[in-house]
Amino acid sequence: MIRSENLVKKYGNADLELTVLKNLNIQIEKGEFVAIIGPSGAGKSTLLYQLSLLDVPTSGGIYINGKNMSVLPEKEKTEFRLRELGYVFQDYALLPELTALENVALPMLMQGLSYSDAVLKAKVALSTVGLSEKLGNLPSQLSGGQQQRVSIARAIAHGPHILFADEPTANLDSISAEPVMEAFSELHKSGQTIIMVTHEVEYASKAGRIITLKDGLVVSDKKI
Amino acid sequence: MKRISQIKQELFNAVRVGWFLAYHHIRRSSKWTTVLIVFIMTLTLLNLVVVSGLLLGLITGSFEAFKESYSGEVIVTSAPQHDYIENSQNLISYLNNHPNVKATSVRYVAGAQLLGTLADLPGKDERPNKISIRLVGIDPTSEEALTGFSRFVVKGETLVEGEEGSILIGANMIKKYSSFADANIPGLDLLNDVDVGSRIKVTISTTGGTVIKKDFRIKGIVKSKVDEISTRAFITDKELKRLIPVNKEEVQEIAIKTDDLYAPILSNEIKFFMGSYSARIQTSGEAIPSFLRNIETTMGVLGNALSSFALVVASITIFIVVFINAVTKRKFIGIMKGIGVSPIAIEFSYIFQALFYGVVGSIVGLIITFGVLKPYFAAYPINFPFSDGILVATPESAGIRVVILLVVTLAAGYIPAKLIVRKNTLDAILGR
Repeated sequence: MIRSENLVKKYGNADLELTVLKNLNIQIEKGEFVAIIGPSGAGKSTLLYQLSLLDVPTSGGIYINGKNMSVLPEKEKTEFRLRELGYVFQDYALLPELTALENVALPMLMQGLSYSDAVLKAKVALSTVGLSEKLGNLPSQLSGGQQQRVSIARAIAHGPHILFADEPTANLDSISAEPVMEAFSELHKSGQTIIMVTHEVEYASKAGRIITLKDGLVVSDKKI
Repeated sequence: MKRISQIKQELFNAVRVGWFLAYHHIRRSSKWTTVLIVFIMTLTLLNLVVVSGLLLGLITGSFEAFKESYSGEVIVTSAPQHDYIENSQNLISYLNNHPNVKATSVRYVAGAQLLGTLADLPGKDERPNKISIRLVGIDPTSEEALTGFSRFVVKGETLVEGEEGSILIGANMIKKYSSFADANIPGLDLLNDVDVGSRIKVTISTTGGTVIKKDFRIKGIVKSKVDEISTRAFITDKELKRLIPVNKEEVQEIAIKTDDLYAPILSNEIKFFMGSYSARIQTSGEAIPSFLRNIETTMGVLGNALSSFALVVASITIFIVVFINAVTKRKFIGIMKGIGVSPIAIEFSYIFQALFYGVVGSIVGLIITFGVLKPYFAAYPINFPFSDGILVATPESAGIRVVILLVVTLAAGYIPAKLIVRKNTLDAILGR
């Protein structure tokens, strides 16, 4: 469903060049819950940005359903991300002036849904992550764990084909992280494709497959 | 066709999401920040409307005073090289029967000399206490109806109908009251040591060469910022006609009060009525001296120059506000782009915010202009030496300035938003 082909990502210039991803070839099928782990500097987040079309590879490509997405113009990538992909960021990334409900409804409004339909879907998504009681709360009125679950609700509300999560529990204590991971597990059970970067092996073990990176290379790819 | 409808739909979504973001941002941002920005926009509009309006108002005030104090809305005077208005009695009858004429004042004007010291002769090296002046014969009742003449009397009393032996003198011709008394202008003679109650000698030279002299008692001093009041002397028309054998046809001025909007029509009607008879027929605006028109143009240019500075300041203010707002939200802008919100929707949100500040600031500015400042300056004009300065602000001129302000605001809001939004999405998210 999504694969990287000879994926290379370099930073810097000719004088000082750093190759973060070195000819990576991975393939992830529909419905998989994949955890990408590895030490700091292994290239986990860089790989996630490549797979989620937020960044452009130096060479190689990202193929989704057989189509090379790396060569698409930025406008089409934005459009694709809006309809087909969902994101959960490490620091929640909620808009501070929007309530939980409005944050979740925003991408669907952009898709062209009516306000009432967007709000209805947003309520369902927030209910899925157990936040039905916090619809009108601003991010500043929510705990870190609650904010991350709002972020998950925003990422899944429009029914994306692939959900990307970048260290979703990094800023949370274990008590707050638990329901977040629970939400991912539930989504996986319902057939959602999830690609998650984490440095916590405990949470990675909740996934069905663990890809380990080191120095920009895949050193291990295990199904659990 | 499908492509066009798709573009329309994308644009509609972008506008809708832009509005959604702007609305919630303004609603939930700091109230004090919003008030401060709106306050700046209000001051900018006031700067645009009021500064130029007051500059123009100094001149327009003199135009208004000229009309209210002297000319009425239409004034008929003797044509150049003519001593009087031809066919004047028929014209007066025509005007008295005209349904749109509210009042008329018929004035007889003669050249005269006033001698201020009756008893003492001047010394060998002294100039006599004497001035040349335009002596105007008025009907006090009709002059009162046209200009409210008695309001110009700053000392003493006004004339009454048929009165004889009394004279009113313009303040600028008496040293004690004149604004130019301390200017020491060579050739400018002012009456010295005279006041209300003093006796003066009036000498009138008729066109036929006859010299008529008569002693008058100064009944009052008249003062106005219009020279036609402050530099003339006034007696009753009956007395002037009696003193010099003025034919009742020999009228020099007919001032006419009508509606402002009707003035040009009435002017044309009078021209048509007069046909080949010689007279100068002008609306109040046409009768205003050209140097005042030149000053009006200069004031307009000055006002526009000052306004443009205000506009630049306002645009920079909005630019900075939006730029700082966008820079501090750069990460969120990146995230929005990351989750699929189109750049144009984000740009629209900043445009709407800038427009909000512009529109609200303009509305407040208009309310202050038309609800407070304009009535205030109408009631308490600025005391300018040659006019009572008012605030000239019409809905049309204010509307144009609002549109200019909004266009500038829109550009000042759009440019910084565009600069930030076009940055790389991932760099924005990661704060690089």
